[in-house]
Amino acid sequence: MALWFLRGLRRGVVTTGYPARSDDSAARLPTPPAFRPAALDRSTADRLVAVCPSLALRREADVLVFDVGACTACGRCQDAVPGAAAPSGEFELAATSRAHLVKRIPLLREAGT
Amino acid sequence: MTDGDPALSSQQDQPGVPPPASGSEPGPELAAGRQLSERIARQFGRSLHIRTLDTGSCAACEQEIRLLAAPHYDLNRLGFFFTPAPRHADLLMVTGPMVRAFDVAARKTYEAMPGPKIVVATGACALGGVYQPDAFVHGSVAEILPVDVWIPGCPPSPLALLQGLLVAVDRLAEKVGGLSFAADETQEAAQ
Repeated sequence: MALWFLRGLRRGVVTTGYPARSDDSAARLPTPPAFRPAALDRSTADRLVAVCPSLALRREADVLVFDVGACTACGRCQDAVPGAAAPSGEFELAATSRAHLVKRIPLLREAGT
Repeated sequence: MTDGDPALSSQQDQPGVPPPASGSEPGPELAAGRQLSERIARQFGRSLHIRTLDTGSCAACEQEIRLLAAPHYDLNRLGFFFTPAPRHADLLMVTGPMVRAFDVAARKTYEAMPGPKIVVATGACALGGVYQPDAFVHGSVAEILPVDVWIPGCPPSPLALLQGLLVAVDRLAEKVGGLSFAADETQEAAQ
């Protein structure tokens, strides 16, 4: 206890300075994926939609609709189509409107049917 | 207790008494609404008391919410405090997919809070991601309570929750609205 107290005094505080200073510790946790439009056509998008367990993905013609609010950052889309998705590293995701969390990602047109 | 009963019975007569989700509905009331939200932000700019409400969550969100009080995050330094009573709370943090059996309790909790009040939907379940509406769950907190701020994540990390709380009291700007979640091609080429 006394040792901890002295060490604490020497090292300073353990508390994050988050709102004032950036803290990337949360970015190393699972984060929702960012998709590469260049690697996505209709068939790969359909594979992503089929593999998503929380219904965060759906395809509307040549657009992949990604609901960040529904995403659980499970990483299955990254495994299903390698190169199409990678962790975004974004954790500051709070939104004042539900619609702000729905992202529309354009697909490659010429590769589609 | 007796004064609470008429309000409750009138609520049960008309289901869905609280207005639906505060989405991006345009209208002539927008300017007045913005003024009101600025006033509320001023009022909430000081210390703020949080009541958590578990509507069928798996408790992962609760675990992260508990971590907010840990020394590393220490939300008390920002003026946030947890309170066990909704009557003392300014902000309601709702987790879980809103189990139908919890309707009355959720409405009573919301009604018990003094105004002005903020509702924060926390976690993918509360945002309508994991569970679809069925006989047991509404699937989204917005079906029952008017949600002001949405915090995604399964579960959201304590820093994400902290950012959500600061967005809720307007001390931090929302960031996710400007993100595309499409990887930047120029960045890819540079690598």
